[in-house]
Amino acid sequence: MEQSQNQHHEAEIIPEAFSRTISDSLINKFFLEISSLTIFTLRFFKEVFKPPYEFSELIKQFFLIGYKSLPLVGITGFIIGLVLTIQSRPTLEKFGAVSWLPTMVAVSIIREIGPVITALIYAGKVGSGIGAELASMNVSEQIDAMQVSGTNPFKYLIVTRVVSTTLMLPVLVVFADAVGLFGSLVGVNLRGDVSGHLFFSQVFQNLEYNDLFPAFIKTFFFGFAVGLIGCYKGFNSNTGTEGVGKAANSAVVFSSLMVFLIDVVAVQITSLFQN
Amino acid sequence: MIANATSKTTEHDNKQNGLVVVEMEHLKKSFGNNRVLRDINLVLHKGENLVVLGKSGTGKSVLIKCIVGLVDFDEGELVILGRNISEVEDKELIEIRKKIGFLFQSSALYDSMTVRENLEFSLRRQLRSISKEGLSSLIKEALHNVGLATAIEMMPSELSGGMRKRLGLARSLILKPEIMLYDEPTTGLDPITSKEISNLILDVQKMYNTSSIIITHDIECARRTANRIIVIKDGICAAEGSYIDLANSADAWIRSFFE
Repeated sequence: MEQSQNQHHEAEIIPEAFSRTISDSLINKFFLEISSLTIFTLRFFKEVFKPPYEFSELIKQFFLIGYKSLPLVGITGFIIGLVLTIQSRPTLEKFGAVSWLPTMVAVSIIREIGPVITALIYAGKVGSGIGAELASMNVSEQIDAMQVSGTNPFKYLIVTRVVSTTLMLPVLVVFADAVGLFGSLVGVNLRGDVSGHLFFSQVFQNLEYNDLFPAFIKTFFFGFAVGLIGCYKGFNSNTGTEGVGKAANSAVVFSSLMVFLIDVVAVQITSLFQN
Repeated sequence: MIANATSKTTEHDNKQNGLVVVEMEHLKKSFGNNRVLRDINLVLHKGENLVVLGKSGTGKSVLIKCIVGLVDFDEGELVILGRNISEVEDKELIEIRKKIGFLFQSSALYDSMTVRENLEFSLRRQLRSISKEGLSSLIKEALHNVGLATAIEMMPSELSGGMRKRLGLARSLILKPEIMLYDEPTTGLDPITSKEISNLILDVQKMYNTSSIIITHDIECARRTANRIIVIKDGICAAEGSYIDLANSADAWIRSFFE
C-alpha cells in the first residue's frame, strides 16, 4: 500500500520536475541567445568604423540587396496600393467620403503599410538569403578559410551586409510607397476618372511632415534588424546542412518579429512627439 | 610508449638554430566534458613533413586548428616561428598566422568566385599595393605549380574533387606560407588523384621549403609524404617515429594503422 502511494507520488513529481527542467532550459536558452546577439551587435559597432573598409563588397551588397529586391518590392507595393483602394472605396462611399480615398490610402501606405510590408518582404527575401548564405559558408568552412587567409570575416561578411540592409531598405520603402500610390491611382480609376495630377495633388496637400519623417526613420531600424539577425543566425549556425535550413528559417521568423516590435516602439515614440 | 625518433639534444640544437617552427607543450583542449586534446607535445622542424595519424574523433583536426587560431586551446604552450602565441598581441598574432597556410578537408573554396578570384581574394588583402600585372603573374604561377593553369576562369562547382584540392592548395601557397597545414588532403579522392596530391605535397616541400603538418587516414599518403609520423590516441601523442619504425612497432595497435 505504502509502496503504491510512493509510486503515485513519484509519478506526480517526475512530470513536474521534467517540465521545470524544460522551462529552465528554455529560459536559459532565451537569455543565452539575447546575450549572444548583444555581443554580436556590439562587435558590429566596434568593427564598422575600423579600417580597412570593404568598399567593393559593400557596393556588391548594395546591388544584391537593394537593386535585386526592386521587382519584388515594386510588385508588392503596386498590389497593396491597388487592393487597399478597391477595398476602402465601399466604406468611404457609405460615408460620402470617396473624395478622401487618395489621401486615406496615401497616409496608410506611407505611415504604416508601406514600411512594414516592405520590411516583411525584405526579411523573407534578404534576411533568409543572408542567413542561408552565411550558414552554408560556415558548413563548407569558407568562413574559416577567410580567417586563415588573414581576412576578417566579420568585417567582410557581416559589416557589409548589415550596412547594406540598413541603407537599402529606406530606398526600397520609398520606391514601394511610390509604386503603391501609382497602384492606388489605378484602383481609383477602375471605378472613376481621376487624373494623375489631381490624385497626387490631393495626396501631397494632405500629407504632413509627421506622416513622412517617422515612417522613413523607422525603416533604417527595420533594415538594421533584418540584416543583423540574418547575419547572426547564419554566422552562428550549427554545422551540417540542417543548420542552413534552420538559419534561414529562424532569420525570417526573428527578423519579422523584430520588425513588429520596432514598429510598436516607433509608433509609441511618434505619438509621444505628436501629442 | 613514445618512440622518439629525434633525440632531445638534436631538438634543442634545432631550436637554437631557429629550425623548430612549431612547438607544442602540454597542449589541452576540451569541448564541454569531452577532453579532446589531453596532453599534446609536438615539434615541427623547418622543411619537415610531419604526418599525424589517429582514429576519427581523436582531435587531429582540432590540433592544427589550434595552430592556425581557428580553435583556442585551454592550457599549454604553443610556440610558432619562435613566438609564444599566448604572449603576443593580436596584431602580431595576425602577422604570424599570415605565414601559415591551411588546406581544408573540404577545400573551402569561395563558391561564388571564379578560380582566379579565389586566389585574388587573399592576395589583395595581404599585398594591398600590388599591381594588376603582379597579381596576374602570381596567380598564373600558383595555378601552373598545381597544374590548374587552364582552369583560371572556371567556377569551383565545375571542378573535380582533385582539382578543388589543388585550387585550395594554390590559394594557400600563393601567400608563400612558411608552414602548411593539411587537413586530410586525400580524403574522398580516388587512388590516382590521391597519389597526385601526395606528390604535390612533396613538390611544395621542395619548391617552397615549407614545414608541413599533414593530418591523414590515408596510409599511402603518409608513406609518401612523411619525414616523421606522430600517432594520437586518447588525446596524447602515443607514438612518434619514421614510417618504417612505426610500421614495425611492437605495439599491435600502432601496427594496425599500417596493415
